[in-house]
Amino acid sequence: MAEHINLKLPRKGYKLFKSKNWMVFAEGVWHNNPIFGMVLGLCSTLAVTNLMANAFVMSIAVTVVLVVNSAVISLIRNLIPDRARMITYMLIVSTIVITVDLFIKILFPKVSSTLGPYVALIITNCIVMGRCEAFAINNTPGLSISDALGAGIGYTFSLMVIAFFRELIGFGSLFGFKVIPDSIPTISLFSVPPGAFFALAIFIFFVNYIKKKYKLEGKH
Amino acid sequence: MIFIKAIIFINLYIFAIGILIIFMDKVISNYGECKVKINNDKEFEEHGGKTLLKALFENKYFIPSACGGKGTCGYCKLQVPEGGGPALPTEALILNSKELREGYRLSCQVKLREDLDVTIPAEYLEIKEYDAVIEQIELATSDIKKVKINLAEDDEINFKPGQYVQIMFDTPDGLDYRAYSIASTPERKNSIELNVKLIPEGLGSSYVHAKNKNDKIQFSGPYGDFFLRTDSHRKIVCVAGGVGLAPMKSIIDFWNNNPHGRKCELYYGSRTTKDLYDHEFFVKIAKENPDFSYYPALSDKDPEWNGECGFIHTVIEKYLEDGANSEAYLCGPEIMINFVTEVLIAKEIPQERISYDKF
Amino acid sequence: MINLLVILFASILTSNIALTYFLGMCPFVTISKNMKVAYGMGLAVTFVMVVTAMTNWLINKFILEALGIEFLQFLVFIVTIAAMVQIIEIFIDRYFPALYHAFGIFLPLITVNCAILGISLFMVLRTYGFFETLFFSVGSGLGWLLAIVSIGALRKKMIFSNPLEHFGVTGITAVLAGLMALAFIGFTGIARL
Repeated sequence: MAEHINLKLPRKGYKLFKSKNWMVFAEGVWHNNPIFGMVLGLCSTLAVTNLMANAFVMSIAVTVVLVVNSAVISLIRNLIPDRARMITYMLIVSTIVITVDLFIKILFPKVSSTLGPYVALIITNCIVMGRCEAFAINNTPGLSISDALGAGIGYTFSLMVIAFFRELIGFGSLFGFKVIPDSIPTISLFSVPPGAFFALAIFIFFVNYIKKKYKLEGKH
Repeated sequence: MIFIKAIIFINLYIFAIGILIIFMDKVISNYGECKVKINNDKEFEEHGGKTLLKALFENKYFIPSACGGKGTCGYCKLQVPEGGGPALPTEALILNSKELREGYRLSCQVKLREDLDVTIPAEYLEIKEYDAVIEQIELATSDIKKVKINLAEDDEINFKPGQYVQIMFDTPDGLDYRAYSIASTPERKNSIELNVKLIPEGLGSSYVHAKNKNDKIQFSGPYGDFFLRTDSHRKIVCVAGGVGLAPMKSIIDFWNNNPHGRKCELYYGSRTTKDLYDHEFFVKIAKENPDFSYYPALSDKDPEWNGECGFIHTVIEKYLEDGANSEAYLCGPEIMINFVTEVLIAKEIPQERISYDKF
Repeated sequence: MINLLVILFASILTSNIALTYFLGMCPFVTISKNMKVAYGMGLAVTFVMVVTAMTNWLINKFILEALGIEFLQFLVFIVTIAAMVQIIEIFIDRYFPALYHAFGIFLPLITVNCAILGISLFMVLRTYGFFETLFFSVGSGLGWLLAIVSIGALRKKMIFSNPLEHFGVTGITAVLAGLMALAFIGFTGIARL
């Protein structure tokens, strides 16, 4: 069953613009943030946050795939037979991902070789599937794009924050530029896989702390 | 050039896979013919792969079912001494361990894979299928329609007041059915009345609401353990909420023509005057029959209403007397049933004399 | 032969796909502490992984490379995976009903599990041959099974602890997974993939 976002009672802070698009967008960024709101797409989060450059490219890729996918699915939503839903999603997402992967290979060759198969894994990324199934299949293209953008920006936000700390503490650099002088030792734990888990845990910890402190949960 | 190769290949590939899966489904999921033996007596053969419930239905053995085969209502439980295979986890949620040990299964979850024995209780063997025609369909409130259905010429239905029928309708996934209580008295055997509330996205209610006069309709019945007990002289206490009034109409109409010295009370809870229906019907009976008392109550504030206000259990609290000599029949939403039961027990109506029709 | 065994052990222990490559993380958080469920899912994943990896290898070698359309790999792999899962479900339902009761319900969920697609992609990336793919997929599946069963067991033990509330379920699972990943690093030295 599709989620219907209750647009009658906008949450505190979402009253900025009264448009439906804004509220749907804002939901995706904070309340329904893929990483800490809905706990989806963890595979890619853990893998690419070791360097900010990786996180940045990945976030762009995911956002682009999300938006294009939601838009296309929303446009053809009335033509998809019920039984063939899953296979249609997969076909569309795969085509988009193949294209995006090619672009990344051309534009960011170094990052592309580091990311390896993770860009392709966007196909099975729960966020993309989730937004399709929960929103795009039942809503207009305009709203679906806002929703996808919201989720994408939320994802970018989470990834960049985690990557910022992981790279800074793990490598002593930001975006490849050495920021911390060599004399101060780095905690290389954060540059290896276990560190990814710990960084994620700490990130979730702080997000929940902020949520509680400023009571940003806000239920309908 | 490569692009064209690619597109051709992909299309061929997907096509080939589609064919392969359909083929495998037909060939492998073919369980062959399975014999189903009923009560060690009659038997029939069916293609394997379908659920026991469906197989029984298609061979005119009607088993009560409220959830349409999803495994949530538990009405379709039957004893399967042989051939049912191990019980599924979905069944373990509904059946208790004693039932499982005795071989009870949910027939909507048992898949026909081999020859099978099943025990069907006598009441179920009474159930028939009816082809009928809509005589009248009209709105009684904003979302409840009263539907009068005429059976075929010489056909009749023998039911007890309070029982229900299952309306059958077609869906893209095959035949489906939904249960609705009979609102008319059993003394009329050639036609029945149903009260159907339109549920948003409800398959059954939208089907019925879309019907017009003279349309055909199919149903099976009668079903249900919820009916008026005629073996006592106790006072009949009916409590209904919303569209739960339907079975009560059947009970009260029947009682009115066959009082046998019993008293009868109806407590009916609704939201506003607009949601009340058949109000005049009961007011009339109350006027003409001193043994009948009618207590309607509205839960929402309504300036035009000068009857009781509040939830129905508070009204029962106020007016019900002589609980020890009464038996109660309840039909309505679960919360209402829970509150009302508490009050009834406090009024000394024992648990075993309280009957429920939960919807 | 030694090479194959190295691949097998490395994919279970040192390069565990869940703890080192973060594949198939979503069920980690959502899977209940029920060990039977975790075990069932792990078995299903292993089975599907092996079947799909081998099928994808064959298709890749004899069709995609022959026609020169390798760029379609992603599409073809995911479609193959979806189809194989469907076929497996039909097969098992018919011939092994006991197995179907054990892990049949997980099969549709597995189609979108990153791990299954990931294995096929890694196989292509590392240009594995037939037997290498076989040992790799078996090892990865078993490694995933090991990881999810361990996480389930650890979370069961957590009932008796009081983690900081801000962590939430995800946070504490992440911490546990991190500690497990650290522990598995101890296996380095056996092999490196």
